[in-house]
Amino acid sequence: MLRLLPNSRILSKAIPPVNISYKARECASKAAETVEVFVDDKPVQVQPGSTVLQACAQAGVEIPRFCYHERLSIAGNCRMCLVEVERSPKPVASCAMPVMKGMKIKTDSPITKKAREGVMEFLLVNHPLDCPICDQGGECDLQDQSMNFGSDKSRFTDNQFLGKRAVEDKDIGPLVKTIMTRCIQCTRCVRFANEIAGVSDLGTTGRGNDLQIGTYVEKMFKSELSGNVIDICPVGALTSKPYAFVARPWELRRVDSIDTMDAVGSNIVVCTRGGDIMRILPRIHEGINEEWLADKSRFSYDGLKRQRLTSPMIKDESGNLISVDWETALLRVCDAITSVKGAEIAAIAGGQVDAEALIAMKDLLNKLGSESLNTEEIFPMDGSGTDLRSNYLLNSSIEGIEESDAILLIGCNPRYEAPLLNARIRKAFIHNEIEVGYLGPKIDLSYNYQHLGDTTTSLENIKSSQFYKEHLSKAKKPMIILGSSALQRADGTAVFAKTQQISNELKEAGSSWRVLNVLQRVASQVAALDIGYRPGVENVRNNKPKVLFLLHADNETVRREDLGKDCVVIYQGSHGDQGALMADIVLPGAAYTEKEGTYVNTEGRAQRTLVAVNPPGLARNDWRITRALSEMIGQPLSYDNTNEIRDRLAEMSPNLVKFDTVEEANYFKQSEELFKDIKEKIKQDSFSLPMIQLKDYFMTDPITRASPTMAQCVKANNKEA
Amino acid sequence: MSKYLEKLRNCRLAIKQNGGIIGAYLQLFRTDELKYGNHIGTDKYGNKYYENKSYFVARSRWIDYAPKYGYDFDGSQVPADWHRWLHYMTDDPPTKVKPCPDREWMTDHEENLSGTTGQYVPYSTVTPKIHSWNPPKNN
Amino acid sequence: MASLGKAGGLVRILTGSLPKSSPVLTSVRFNQTDAKKEKTTFGNLKDEDRIFTNLYGRHDWRLKGAKSRGDWYKTREIMDKGIEWIQKEITTSGLRGRGGAGFPTGMKWSFMNRPDDGRPKYLVVNADEGEPGTCKDREIMRHDPHKLIEGCLIAGKAMGARAAYIYIRGEFYYEASNMNAAIKEAYDAGLIGKNACNSGYDFDVYMHRGAGAYICGEETALIESLEGKQGKPRLKPPFPADVGVFGCPTTVNNVETIAVAPTICRRGGEWFAQFGRDRNRGTKLFNISGHVNNPCTVEEEMSVPLKDLIERHAGGVRGGWDNLLAIIPGGSSVPLLPKSICDDVLMDFDALVQAQSGLGTAAIIVMNKQADVVRCISRLIDFYKHESCGQCTPCREGVHWMKKMMTRFVTGNAKVEEIDMLWEISKQIEGHSICALGDGAAWPVQGLIRHFRPLLEQRFKDYEKSQELQQSAQTI
Repeated sequence: MLRLLPNSRILSKAIPPVNISYKARECASKAAETVEVFVDDKPVQVQPGSTVLQACAQAGVEIPRFCYHERLSIAGNCRMCLVEVERSPKPVASCAMPVMKGMKIKTDSPITKKAREGVMEFLLVNHPLDCPICDQGGECDLQDQSMNFGSDKSRFTDNQFLGKRAVEDKDIGPLVKTIMTRCIQCTRCVRFANEIAGVSDLGTTGRGNDLQIGTYVEKMFKSELSGNVIDICPVGALTSKPYAFVARPWELRRVDSIDTMDAVGSNIVVCTRGGDIMRILPRIHEGINEEWLADKSRFSYDGLKRQRLTSPMIKDESGNLISVDWETALLRVCDAITSVKGAEIAAIAGGQVDAEALIAMKDLLNKLGSESLNTEEIFPMDGSGTDLRSNYLLNSSIEGIEESDAILLIGCNPRYEAPLLNARIRKAFIHNEIEVGYLGPKIDLSYNYQHLGDTTTSLENIKSSQFYKEHLSKAKKPMIILGSSALQRADGTAVFAKTQQISNELKEAGSSWRVLNVLQRVASQVAALDIGYRPGVENVRNNKPKVLFLLHADNETVRREDLGKDCVVIYQGSHGDQGALMADIVLPGAAYTEKEGTYVNTEGRAQRTLVAVNPPGLARNDWRITRALSEMIGQPLSYDNTNEIRDRLAEMSPNLVKFDTVEEANYFKQSEELFKDIKEKIKQDSFSLPMIQLKDYFMTDPITRASPTMAQCVKANNKEA
Repeated sequence: MSKYLEKLRNCRLAIKQNGGIIGAYLQLFRTDELKYGNHIGTDKYGNKYYENKSYFVARSRWIDYAPKYGYDFDGSQVPADWHRWLHYMTDDPPTKVKPCPDREWMTDHEENLSGTTGQYVPYSTVTPKIHSWNPPKNN
Repeated sequence: MASLGKAGGLVRILTGSLPKSSPVLTSVRFNQTDAKKEKTTFGNLKDEDRIFTNLYGRHDWRLKGAKSRGDWYKTREIMDKGIEWIQKEITTSGLRGRGGAGFPTGMKWSFMNRPDDGRPKYLVVNADEGEPGTCKDREIMRHDPHKLIEGCLIAGKAMGARAAYIYIRGEFYYEASNMNAAIKEAYDAGLIGKNACNSGYDFDVYMHRGAGAYICGEETALIESLEGKQGKPRLKPPFPADVGVFGCPTTVNNVETIAVAPTICRRGGEWFAQFGRDRNRGTKLFNISGHVNNPCTVEEEMSVPLKDLIERHAGGVRGGWDNLLAIIPGGSSVPLLPKSICDDVLMDFDALVQAQSGLGTAAIIVMNKQADVVRCISRLIDFYKHESCGQCTPCREGVHWMKKMMTRFVTGNAKVEEIDMLWEISKQIEGHSICALGDGAAWPVQGLIRHFRPLLEQRFKDYEKSQELQQSAQTI
């Protein structure tokens, strides 16, 4: 039934949803609540409408499968999951068969075993025996299942030496390597591309034994989620190009961590071998990334090995940066700080700083008498500003998108700013048939949306739009997602005030549903605002500090020209990028895979990274650098280890240490009151977006700018376009 | 009786050849052995070679390492031409018959330096895991 | 292929998921058998009992000619009798699907009578006649297109369908143009379209030409193809009666099934039911091809003995009945029968199933002793290998493997153990694939091994001997 979904959208205009019988079945058995089926004579109570495979899983029996995937539509074409069902003349495909009352499923009977062995034999007939050089070896479904369920003998005789089927490899871009001879035609990748990624680049051509997966004409698989086909491929047909022939899964040490390439905070596993990052894989988190991962998060790890700052540096007499030891560098910083007044010191935090480093910097500067702590990302500070947490969070949470029934996107491109959030919207769009409205320049969001205009005028007149009247105002759980780029306009406050006003009108009285959502773009922003950093660098520009700390700040929000001649710029970060170029003193910090840090995602969910590899060379964990500096200055900070600094974080904002929980923020009314005083008017012009096309997506921060893989992606995209 | 006298004589000759009581004691300390024989020759590094055919073959030729080696003497300090004689490949010491004429391209003998700081270490063929940032020079 | 598609329906009955099988339907059938005295001889259909009176195209196929043969006669009255009446007549007639699987048509139509959920219903006519040996639907469409169009209207009325789609095989160019002309005529005459036959019922007939894939004759693959996608069978459930073409309830019927419906309604289900044995009622188009003196398509009574059929209509086997080797009784996808069985088998669903074969589309392929039966079957496997859609594993990989082996069997370049292996492979394909093409590919091989194993073994021995001879000749 699910396979119809992509085009069910077309039909839904004329007729009610296709899966009516499905729904009817659900309704009918709601009264009965559960259905009893027997798996190997063991009674199990299962939800009506679930499949035989799910029933077996509930009974603790694992059914082998290749084409079936929980998050994709059912194809039922590998036939590996065949089981015998009593009173059925032939074995049924358990992944597609809905359970029926009193069904007797036999997962261990001779018929079932024979069917499995037969299918396995057929799959292996044309599968190359190159496991020893296959990158999937060791984590290959076909390998595992042929060990568990396959026959113990081979009878494939090839006495005419005709060979196995050979298929030409396809070039589908710099990220995914294809070895199509290994393909078992499960079509998981095709379904992923069509359903989750929303890019119908992949498909099947040919028929019978000549069936091939491909892109019809040779072109790039243009998706920001393309790497996921590597994970879902049950064999080694689709593997990672940067990871090709690099490591074996059993050699790798796996460390759970959090991604910091965007503000979604995807859960990842960093795989290392001998202190070297080999690859990054997604980790299942239903609330955030499900089991997907965006390409930038998955493939930019080679940026962590290039352009690294491995030793402290100071400028010599001729103005060149030279490597020195820590003591010399810190003494130089000490001199700079002690020679100026406290208020003349300022700090700018970049997009990938952990909360620990942020608070250490804040405490140090406060001790020295400075309040000038800023973030690179801008957020309007008038009205309630960042005082109320609900103003800068994605309040209804990423998972909440699935409950929502109408979404309005204002001035953001979630597809590239937060690819997994966009995947959620697409999921809701397909499965719940929600309506999406969009304000901003026309872009491809991978699903259909109602374009409500690209100017601010359209925002002001939103109530007269058809979308508002027909969908948003009638929705039980409407969502408005406001992009941070819309807030960085000069009239950001007015845009925010207007959006808040619309949201509060949509909010049903007494309902706990939260309408207003802000989509952040960088991983550190929410934590920085929680701790009390001031968004934007206006402050620095106007006050001309004498000493400026750049904490992983590489986006050139402040240039050397904006500062006074005598200003000492201290860059603390992981990569030699824009920040280090303008610095007088460079302190090498750790990247997100090298430290135990807390990051808060756009929902306000605190998560922590773990140490996967040690910082390279003399580089050190960021908050420890600040702590050492405080000691030298003679104003030591009060924490010496991770636990103590986390206690300090809890003191500052308890949500920062409540890992993996989303704290509700709910002061919309009060916030609106505060915004009433704002006299500022929205300027009449169009919304602009930093990322419009896929090629804009790949290089956005120091890590991705240093990554050769990302550079190749950009190159391939330029060639394609 | 004459057997004992013979031993005594050998002992006396050995002590004499090794520089008296003290010298003999040091030699014994250095090599655990005290022998006497004909001095066949000295190589360019100062090692002295002796022969005394009254000992068994394999013990009848020996080397007295040059004093500069102290206690760090080692078999590889024997140059190739003396090595032949010392190991009974030939009965003609290089002082009598040169194994091969001197050529211009022949390098000096070098002892085996394994296990010392002078040992050979091959250069790494592995690319560095981390590429450091090189700040641009503003000249 | 159309034949195979409906096997799924049978599964549904067996697994008991049948939503609404009215008890009345079954009782009617059983009462009938008790009450009536059964015939014991079948065949020799009288001319006045023929439904397809212009099968050979000797008369005008256009509207005028069709009307003169009784088509479109009182169609409105039939429609006015109502849905229940039409369905009752069809059920009484005992008509079973003519596409191959033989699912009772009355029951199939009754699946469509579920409460309206706002979605339109569709009738899809399977005119993708691709089964090797089968050539009955093309005769209907070429020479009697109005029978089909009228059938569409009546069947559509019986299931409350909004429109009928005739999915015609791409290679049938003349058939398609005749059909198009006939549809135009019917529209112009007000027989279909808005207020069809003045009955107040709106009904459209569309024709869709396929692009030449055998698999598109499978009902769900046909639906996919009709929707503009790759013709690959869908999983069942959901059955087309739930979710069919464009996501709406759909019934897929063979051309012949639909084309006989008007006549049944006009002459009554009882009339139709007087032909053939119980559960195998009616008349049927038989296609006789291969080594017969006079290959033909002929309408005959069901349950006619195979020998009678060939002797009477096809002028007998070439070289006499004793020169017969084997017969494939129902299109390429059923197992063949050796002469010993052909002598007295009846041509109907049950008798052929008893003989471990099937009626299929009733396309009789005759092979006399001059034919190389191994090569014939090998050619069929070649066909199935070429036509497999490649969606599911057993069919994609298994048929390819079988083809490789069969090619060697033809020359005899194989070992005796491989016969058992081939048998096992065919069993591994059968019943494990999504649609019935896998079964259809496995059965001919199984038939060959079942009945001609000694021939295969002999051939392997001969080959071995010839190889030995060759080798010894070389060594000398």
